[in-house]
Amino acid sequence: MPPSRRLGFAGEFKIMTSKTISLNQLVAWLNKFSELVSAQCNYLTDLDAAIGDADHGTNMVRGMTAVMNAITAAPPSTIGDLFKVVGMTLVSTVGGASGPLYGTFFLRMGVTSGAVSELNGAQLLMALNAGMEGVVARGKPLANDKTLFDALAPALHAFAISLNSYHSFSDAALAAQMAAAVGRDATASLIARKGRASYLGERSIGHFDPGSASTALLFEALAEVLSGE
Amino acid sequence: MVGIVVVSHSPALAEAAVNLALAMTVGQSPRIEIAAGAVDDVIGTDALRIVDAIKKVSSSKGVLVIMDLGSAIMSSEMALEFIDDKALDVRLSKGPFVEGLLAAVVRAVGGGSLDEVEYEAANALLAKVSQLSATSEIIINEQSSDSKTSLKPEISSQVILVNAIGLHARPAAMIVGAIADCHAQVQIASDFSKAVPANSPTALVGLAAKCGQTLYIQAAGPDAKKAVDLIINLVNDGFGEHDESPLPSLKSHNPTTGVIGVSPGRVVGPVLQLLHPISEPDVQVVLELSDRKAAVQHLMLAVAQVADWFKLQSARLEGSAREIMQATSVITTDPALIKVACEAIINCGLTPERAIWEATEDIVAEFSVQGGLLSERITDMYDIRNRIIRLLTVQDAPDSLISNEPYILVASDLAPADTVMLNPRDCLAIVTEKGGPTSHSAILARSLGIPAITGVTEGTAIVDGTIVLVDGATGEFIISPNDEQKGSVSFIAPISLFHGPGRTSDGYQVQILANIGSVADVPDAITLGAEGVGLFRTEFCFLDREDEPSIAEQVKAYRAVFKCFSGRKVVIRTLDAGSDKPLPFLPIRNEANPALGIRGYRTSWHSPEILCNQLMAIAQAAAAEHAEVWVMAPMIATVEEAQEFVQKTRVAGLTIAGVMIETPAAAIMADHLFEQVDFVSIGTNDLAQYTLAADRMSSDLAVLNDPWQPSLMRMIELVCRGASDLKKPVGVCGEAASDPYLAIVLVGLGVTALSMSARSIPAVGQLLASLSREDCRRAAQAALNSDSAQAARLVVRESLSSVIK
Repeated sequence: MPPSRRLGFAGEFKIMTSKTISLNQLVAWLNKFSELVSAQCNYLTDLDAAIGDADHGTNMVRGMTAVMNAITAAPPSTIGDLFKVVGMTLVSTVGGASGPLYGTFFLRMGVTSGAVSELNGAQLLMALNAGMEGVVARGKPLANDKTLFDALAPALHAFAISLNSYHSFSDAALAAQMAAAVGRDATASLIARKGRASYLGERSIGHFDPGSASTALLFEALAEVLSGE
Repeated sequence: MVGIVVVSHSPALAEAAVNLALAMTVGQSPRIEIAAGAVDDVIGTDALRIVDAIKKVSSSKGVLVIMDLGSAIMSSEMALEFIDDKALDVRLSKGPFVEGLLAAVVRAVGGGSLDEVEYEAANALLAKVSQLSATSEIIINEQSSDSKTSLKPEISSQVILVNAIGLHARPAAMIVGAIADCHAQVQIASDFSKAVPANSPTALVGLAAKCGQTLYIQAAGPDAKKAVDLIINLVNDGFGEHDESPLPSLKSHNPTTGVIGVSPGRVVGPVLQLLHPISEPDVQVVLELSDRKAAVQHLMLAVAQVADWFKLQSARLEGSAREIMQATSVITTDPALIKVACEAIINCGLTPERAIWEATEDIVAEFSVQGGLLSERITDMYDIRNRIIRLLTVQDAPDSLISNEPYILVASDLAPADTVMLNPRDCLAIVTEKGGPTSHSAILARSLGIPAITGVTEGTAIVDGTIVLVDGATGEFIISPNDEQKGSVSFIAPISLFHGPGRTSDGYQVQILANIGSVADVPDAITLGAEGVGLFRTEFCFLDREDEPSIAEQVKAYRAVFKCFSGRKVVIRTLDAGSDKPLPFLPIRNEANPALGIRGYRTSWHSPEILCNQLMAIAQAAAAEHAEVWVMAPMIATVEEAQEFVQKTRVAGLTIAGVMIETPAAAIMADHLFEQVDFVSIGTNDLAQYTLAADRMSSDLAVLNDPWQPSLMRMIELVCRGASDLKKPVGVCGEAASDPYLAIVLVGLGVTALSMSARSIPAVGQLLASLSREDCRRAAQAALNSDSAQAARLVVRESLSSVIK
């Protein structure tokens, strides 16, 4: 079943609200994401070179390095502020399409999270969902357009179902990570319909979408930070 | 000015595109900012840079953002979310990066609104699209007729017609042209009519949709949405219709009841018949089956040639004339027309000329049933038909009218194509049997400044060379006028030269000045003895313009005139436009009574910058030349308006400022007005219209709109009395000044300057020189004491006859 655009879990979930994720853990998540994109910079750029303009790796590294510098220089006191700083920094440092997309993702997460220092499962899911809604509003992706949405949507879907089934944070994050990776891998067989790769048409078949690859890293980072929670 | 932000991944690309655009606007500085590249100068876009750029160029006029691809769009959308000032109107352009930027910049520096700038940018690809698809192929579009039954609309929408005349020929052609390149089947229905294919201009015209009615648009196919959007844009834009103001007399006038004037001007001259109509093709001839295919090809070839001919004509025209010719070209290739004709050839064996004849008759019959405006388009259809038939039967087309002398053109009706061939220098007037005040011919005649009347029954029976009198303002038409009637015309034949300055026989000086519209009128004015210019209409600078002319352009145009009158007086009037004389860049709504609406000086209430720019341009031009420049505003009703205008002229650096007296209000308050202004100039045409409450455009009311009306004289006397206390100059620049006897009356009333068309100068100047100031006063007194216009004419003539040598 292809992931739908709207997940619609917001009013339905009955997941545990006792477990929470703290501001520091979220900073750790971002730090891990930053490490992963740096480590995978060449891989991301190579993916982009095949069907785009060969800058996704360097763009993301520049963006996340700036994010970590900003957070370190002036540690945000609430989760809302944290994501706002992340979003704004990405918007003004990434350059390519990932800037406004990831930027919107984190800005919306920030607005939804609000001035709190921790999020329970329901709140985290709502924040992530809001972020994805932002991505949809920004880039108008549909499922199978060969974009980061193809990793993001299944990841959130899996994360929600897992939390909803009384699984732990770490299990839910693991499920999200796997779903994102599956979504990323599935982009290889798709024809790009968004972004510069769309100009390649059928020639985009056979290559992973770089955005879906970095999104998979985002959930890999989340799974790692939440392991044991 | 609308601000423009250019968003690109690449700073180099953005800078190059901006430089290209700036080359189009030499001497003007658009509000433009680039937001290109991201941090560290990498290729990319940065929403925050876009926000900064928007803030830099923002103003109450709004901002248009022009983007290249991908993240540029997303970053720009994001930037909009970051803008806190919700009052600021920022829009993202759908237009192509380079073409859209050029179009937007040009429109913005021209003073366009955000709507207009956005529209220009969004449609900037149309030129390229139409250029690349502009072949004269004619496609009998099977889809258009099949679609009536098979169209399953994917998109439907509706829109209300806002242009005054509704969906007539030109708008219909614009719709057809706009969606020509869309892969979509589109149908349009109106309130009272079923859906017709939108690729058929005649079918669209057949909807007879009028202003205020709703169009229901349905479309299917890959470009369905685009096609619908294009149509809605066109409709909402009123089809860019600005030249064609509906004449107020339209509703009440029945074209069969008599002659009406459709383009003002009073002339006498010899008749020249346009041509005799083509004869009806033989219905008896039936083509052999084997010949029919070739006959279809002949017809298609002729149609293509005629369509190309119209296109060719349109290319060398401008403004409304150009649009009309383009529309006619589109109508020529209308599938509804051609398909019917081709079928008649194939199925019935009609000759091509007979087939097109009958197909035209069908459409004309439909138009006639609809009546009103549509019936006036019948001429266009007949013209197309006749041209095609002439090609098919090798009859000569009237491509040019050759005459060595000035003539008055007489025709059953003129097609637009005929009208544009006319040279106003040779063609003194146009007389037609058919056509109404909104027919293309009337519009074109007005735009060429050729007097014209319609409704002259059996005009085509008049023999070439017969002398006739034509008054395009009143609709007066006299065959073989007598000398007195001829004398009522401002210009009959070259009169012995008048050598100014204007003065009475006893030396009382009255300036004799010329009314001019542009520098082109200057040579006549000077040759015929004008001492200066009493009315320099500046509209010419603005007409046929989509945008406001730049200050530099205006300065150039004004200087050209000022230069010719070094040391002499030039009275320049600020822009006189309004809903009666609409201009694309003046935001004017439809008014029930345009003559009583936002016009003249009143347009500056909504668009003060246009007046300010013009005053600045006049001041600059005046400073650069040595003419004695007086500036005045049209359509002033109150003392406050006069005061305000004078202040504006002072701010601009102009020294002599006045107003036109065209309203009874201004005339009655003249004594107070003179405390504010340095001079006045009486526009007798409008003053008569407002004093007598009689529409100038109505031929039925011409009797009331007579400049000899004693009420008008009394108004003028009131103004002169107000002036004489303060010894300030009073000019007259209306039609009244060009009637020699009336001019004498005006002088007697106290008018100190008479301004008229150059042709009238010798007659007025000579008569004035033969009379004393006391003679003028006596004539004035006689006119004031008359009970009617006719009585005034007689009594003045009588009082002067004894003293005229």
